[in-house]
Amino acid sequence: MIKLVGLYVLQAFLILGQGLSLAALLTGLWQGHSLPSQLYWLSGFIVCYLFRHGLTEVGNTWLDQYSRTAAQNFRKQLLKKVFELGPAIVQREGTGNMVTLALDGIKEVENYIQLIYSKVISMMIIPLIILIVCFCLDWISGVVMLLVYPLIVLFMIILGYAAKAKADRQFAAFQVLSNHFIDSLRGIDTLKYFGLSKKYSRSIYRSSERFRKSTMSVIKVAMLSTFALDFFTTLAIAILAVFLGLRLINGHLLLFPALAILILAPEYFLPIRNFASDYHATLNGKNSFHAVLRIINMPLPKQPNISLHQWQANDQLVLKDVKFAYPDDGSELAGLDLTVSGNQKIGIIGMSGAGKTTLINLLSGFLAPTSGQINIQKQSVDTLNIKDWQEQILYIPQTPYIFADTLRNNIAFYTPNVSEEKIKEAVHVVGLDNLVAELPKGLSTMIGNGHRALSGGQAQRIALARAFLDPARKVMIFDEPTAHLDIETELELKQRMIPLMKNRLVFFATHRLHWMKQMDYILVLKDGKLLEQGTYQQLLDQQGYFNELMQQTQGKEVAHG
Amino acid sequence: MGKIPLLKAMKHDRWVKPFLKRYKWTLVLAITLGIITFICASGLMFTAGYLISKSATMPFNILLVYVPIVLTRAFGIFRPVTNYFERLASHNWVFKMTSAFRKKLYDSLEQDAVFFNSKYRIGDILGLLSEDVAHIQNLYLRTIFPTLVAFGLYAIIVIGMGVISPLMGLLMLILFGLIIIAIPVWSVLVNGARQQLEKQYTNTLYADLTDNIMGITDWVFAGRSAEYLSYHDQSEQHLLASQKAMKRFEHWRDFILQVMILLVVVSLILWGAARFGGHWGGSANWIAAFVLCVFPLDEVLSSLPTAAQQTNVYTDSLNRLNKLPQPQLTVAKDINITAPYNLKVKDLKYRYPQTEQMVLRGINLNIKPGEKLAILGRSGAGKSTLASLIRGDRKPTAGSVTLNGIPTDEFGDQISDYIGIVHQSPYLFNTTILNNIRLGNENASEEQVWEVLKRVGLASMVQRLPKGLHTMVDEAGLRFSGGERHRLSLARILLKDAPIILLDEPTVGLDPLTEEQVIETFMEQLKGKTLIWITHHLQGIEMMDQVVFIENGTIAMQGSPVDLQKTNQHYRMLKLADEGN
Repeated sequence: MIKLVGLYVLQAFLILGQGLSLAALLTGLWQGHSLPSQLYWLSGFIVCYLFRHGLTEVGNTWLDQYSRTAAQNFRKQLLKKVFELGPAIVQREGTGNMVTLALDGIKEVENYIQLIYSKVISMMIIPLIILIVCFCLDWISGVVMLLVYPLIVLFMIILGYAAKAKADRQFAAFQVLSNHFIDSLRGIDTLKYFGLSKKYSRSIYRSSERFRKSTMSVIKVAMLSTFALDFFTTLAIAILAVFLGLRLINGHLLLFPALAILILAPEYFLPIRNFASDYHATLNGKNSFHAVLRIINMPLPKQPNISLHQWQANDQLVLKDVKFAYPDDGSELAGLDLTVSGNQKIGIIGMSGAGKTTLINLLSGFLAPTSGQINIQKQSVDTLNIKDWQEQILYIPQTPYIFADTLRNNIAFYTPNVSEEKIKEAVHVVGLDNLVAELPKGLSTMIGNGHRALSGGQAQRIALARAFLDPARKVMIFDEPTAHLDIETELELKQRMIPLMKNRLVFFATHRLHWMKQMDYILVLKDGKLLEQGTYQQLLDQQGYFNELMQQTQGKEVAHG
Repeated sequence: MGKIPLLKAMKHDRWVKPFLKRYKWTLVLAITLGIITFICASGLMFTAGYLISKSATMPFNILLVYVPIVLTRAFGIFRPVTNYFERLASHNWVFKMTSAFRKKLYDSLEQDAVFFNSKYRIGDILGLLSEDVAHIQNLYLRTIFPTLVAFGLYAIIVIGMGVISPLMGLLMLILFGLIIIAIPVWSVLVNGARQQLEKQYTNTLYADLTDNIMGITDWVFAGRSAEYLSYHDQSEQHLLASQKAMKRFEHWRDFILQVMILLVVVSLILWGAARFGGHWGGSANWIAAFVLCVFPLDEVLSSLPTAAQQTNVYTDSLNRLNKLPQPQLTVAKDINITAPYNLKVKDLKYRYPQTEQMVLRGINLNIKPGEKLAILGRSGAGKSTLASLIRGDRKPTAGSVTLNGIPTDEFGDQISDYIGIVHQSPYLFNTTILNNIRLGNENASEEQVWEVLKRVGLASMVQRLPKGLHTMVDEAGLRFSGGERHRLSLARILLKDAPIILLDEPTVGLDPLTEEQVIETFMEQLKGKTLIWITHHLQGIEMMDQVVFIENGTIAMQGSPVDLQKTNQHYRMLKLADEGN
C-alpha cells in the first residue's frame, strides 16, 4: 500500500519530467536552436517517458500479485465455509450461484481490488502534484484547472443519479427481456406441440425491438455523464489554450510555461477519466465482494460437542414434541414424538408436501429443530448435527449423486481404501455386473456428468454398493429412493435393498406403499404432522389415515375390475 | 493470418458478417463518427500547439491567430459531441443487430424444437446462448468498431503525412502498422494459446466445482471435505500460473506499445526540427503542433491489443453458433383429413441417426377412433421414441406411422391440429395464466378459458388468486404443485381440442393419490378422444381399453387389462406392487 503510494508519487514526478522536458525541447526548437543543442532535453523526455510507462507496468505487476493473493484467500475461505455449512446452504442459494460466486464472483473481487487501489490512489495523487506545478508555472491557468475539477465531479454525480434511476428500471426490463428469450427457448417444445413455434419467432423480434427503443432512450441520458466528463475536460484544454495564446500575444507569459501547461493539462485529467471508464466494473466487483463476505460471515450451525458410539441394538433415539418451522413461508413439521430403539426399519409414509423431507433433514442433522427435545444414546441434544452421528449415516436420496469420476471411485466414495475384491463383491451384490461388463473400461470407466450417463436405477445401485462397502455406518436414511423408477426396476431394486438393511437402523421415506410391509415401524405424516405411528398391522387395524391410503390405491380395483 | 482463431471462425460465418452488411449505413455512420472523434481530439492539440507557438511570436494583430482560436474551440466542443453520438450510434446498431440475431437464433433452434430439451442439455445451452449473445455484442462494440476506427485513422495519418513528406508517410506507415496491426496480432497469437489453456482450466474448474458442490452431501457425510478443498486448491494453481504468464506478457506488450508511440513522437520531433526548425518562430510554430497531436491517439491505440486478444474468447461463441443448424424453409403441403381418425403403426422400426442399435424393432398397432391405449415398459425401452414417431417428429427408419393413410411426418406443424401431447414436465411460460392456457387456442374467450379451468378442477383455485386469470405464473409459481401444473396443461389441450391425445408419462413423480386424481380427471375430460398413454407403472391402468408392454423394442405383452389380469402372472405381480402389497 505505502509502496504503491510511493510509486504513484514517483510516477507523478516522471510525468512532470516528461511534460516539462518536452515543453523545454519544443521551446528550444521554436527559438531556432539546433536539435543537437537540445539533445539533453530530448533525452530527458525519452528517459522520463520510458520510466513512467515502465513504472506503470511495475505497479500493475504488484497489483496483480496482491489482488491475486487476496482473491485466492477469499476463495479458500468461501469454499471452506460452504463445505462447513454443507447441503443446507447449497439448497438455499443454489448450486449454480455458489459456483459462480466462487469462480466468477471472486474474479470480480480481484478486479475490484485492483481497480480500487490503482485508479483511486492515482486519482488522488497525480492530479494534485501536477496542479501544484501548474500553479508555479502560471497561477491563472492553475486556478482554471482547479475550478474545472469539482465541476466535473459535480456534473457526473448529478447526471449519474439522473441516469441511475432510469438505468435501474431498464436493467429490470433487460432481465425481463432476456428471461423472455430464455423462457421461449425453454418452452420451445411446448410451442411446437401447439403449432405456434414459427409464429413466435416474430414475437421475439418485436419484443427485442421494443426493448431496443426503450434502451436507447435510457442510454441517451446515461451516457450524458460520460459526455459531461468529456466535455469539461476537452473544453478546459481548449479554453486554456486560447487563454494562454491571448496572454502570450500580450507578452504576459513566455512560451515555455504555456506549452508546459498545455502538455500537462491532459495528464491532469487522465486519472479521473480512467476512473470513470472503469466505474461500472467496480460496481460489479463491489456487489460480488459483499456477496462473498455475506457467506464468509455466516454463523455456523450449532454442533453439539458430544461423542456417540456406533449404533447398537440397545441404543435409543427419542424425539419429544419436536417441531420445525421454515422461517420464510411458515410451513412447519410439528408434533414429532417418537422413540426409536435398536436396529429397526422405520418407514416414513406421506404424500407430497406432508413433511417427509423435513423429517429426514432433522434426522440427518441438516436442520435443527425450532423447539422440542432430542435424546440420543441417553444424551440430551438440541440438534442431530453431531459429527459422530453423521459419520455413521448412509444417506440415499431420490437421485444419488454420481460424481464425474470412475465407476470404481464412485462406488468406493465413502471407503476410498477398500480392496478391489471387495468392490467387485459389492458390484455383484447390488446387481451391477451387467453394467460393468457393458462398460468399455469396466470399473475404470468414467461416469457421471459429461461422461456416460447412468439410469436412475443404476445410480441407486451405486448408492447401495457404497452402503455395502461401509458396514461401520449403521444408520441408513432413504429419501424417496424409487419415486422416479419404473415399477419393474423398483421391484428388482427392492430385493437388493432389503438385505442391506439388516442390522442397521433404517429410515425409509417414500410414498410408495408396498415398502411398508417390510418395515418394523411406520410413521405416517400428513400436512406437516406426525399423524399416526405403529407397526403395519397396528396401523391397518387402527382404521385411520394409513388404512385409508391403502384403500384408496387398492379400491380402484374393486371399482373398475 | 490463418492462425488467428477468430478469422478462421469468420471464414464460414453466418452470425457476424451478415449483420455487418445488413445495417451497413448505420455502421458506416458509427465508424465515421468514431474517426471524427479522434480527429477532433488530435486536432485540438494540433491547433492548440500551433496557436500557442504563433502567439508567442507576439503578432501585432489578434486576427492573425483568429483561425487557430476558432478551430481550437470547435475541436474542443466537437470532440465530446461526436464521441457521444458515436456511442449512441454504435449501441443502437448493436441492439438492432441483437433483435435480428435473437430471431435468427430462435429460428435455428425451432426446427429441432421437440428434441431441444434432450439434445442440448437445457441448463448448459441456455446459459451459453445468452452468453453468446453478449459476447457477440462485445465483439462488435469492443473489437470490431475500435479496430475499424483505428484503421480509418491509420489511413488518414499515412496519407496525410505522405502528402507533406513521403518519407515521413512511409515511416508512419511502418510505425503505426506495428502499433495497429503487428502488436495486436502478436498478442492474439501469443496469448491466444494461453487463453485457450486458461479457458480449459476454467471450464474444468467449473465442471469440477459444480460436480462436487452438487455432491456436497456425500463429501460431508463421508467426512472428506478437507480432502476436496485441498484438491481444488491444487487444480486452481494451474490456472493461476497460466494467468500469471498471460499478465506478464500483457505488461511487456503494453510497455512495448508505449515505446512505439514514443518512437512516433521522437521521429516527429526530429523531422519537425529538420523541416521547420533553425530560426526563431515562423515555420517553427508547426513543430509543437505536429508533436502534440500524437498524444490523444494513445487512448484508441492502447486498447487495440486487448481488444484483439479478447476475440479469442468470442471465437468459441462464434463456433458454437455456426454449428447450429441453418434455418430451412420447408413448406408442408396442406393436409385436410376428417373424422374418423385412424392411426396405424405398421412394422415400425427406428434407429437413432449415427447409432447402430435399433430402438424399435417392428411395432404394429392399430388405434381406432376413441380407443384408449396404454403403452408400458421400462425407462429406456423406447416408449418416448415411439411417441415422437407417432407425432411425426421423427421419421421411421422402416415401416410407417399413418393417420388416415398419410404418414404423420408429412404433416409438419399441422399435426398439432390432430395430435395433442401432454408430457412429463409441462412447461408454463413466464406470463399470465390466461396466456398460458390460450396457447391451446389464441382466440379463446375468457369464458372458454374459465370453462376448461372448471373442467380440469382448477377454477376455484384460480378464482381465489387476487388477479385471477391475469396472475403471472411465476408469482403463483411455487403455489402450483405438480398435480396443478398437469391440470393446467390439460386445460390447454382441452382448448386445443385435437382428436388424438398423447400422454407421455404425464404423472411421473406425483404421489399415488395425486396421480390417481390427475389420471381420473384426464380420463374423464378426454372421453371420446383417442388416447395414447405412455406410463411406467400400472396405477389407473384399468381405465384403458388396451395395454401394450414394450420390451427390447418389440411388443412383449398385449391385451385388455381384464384379460391380462386373468392370464398374465407378470402383470399381476406388477399390479400388486403398485397397489401397495
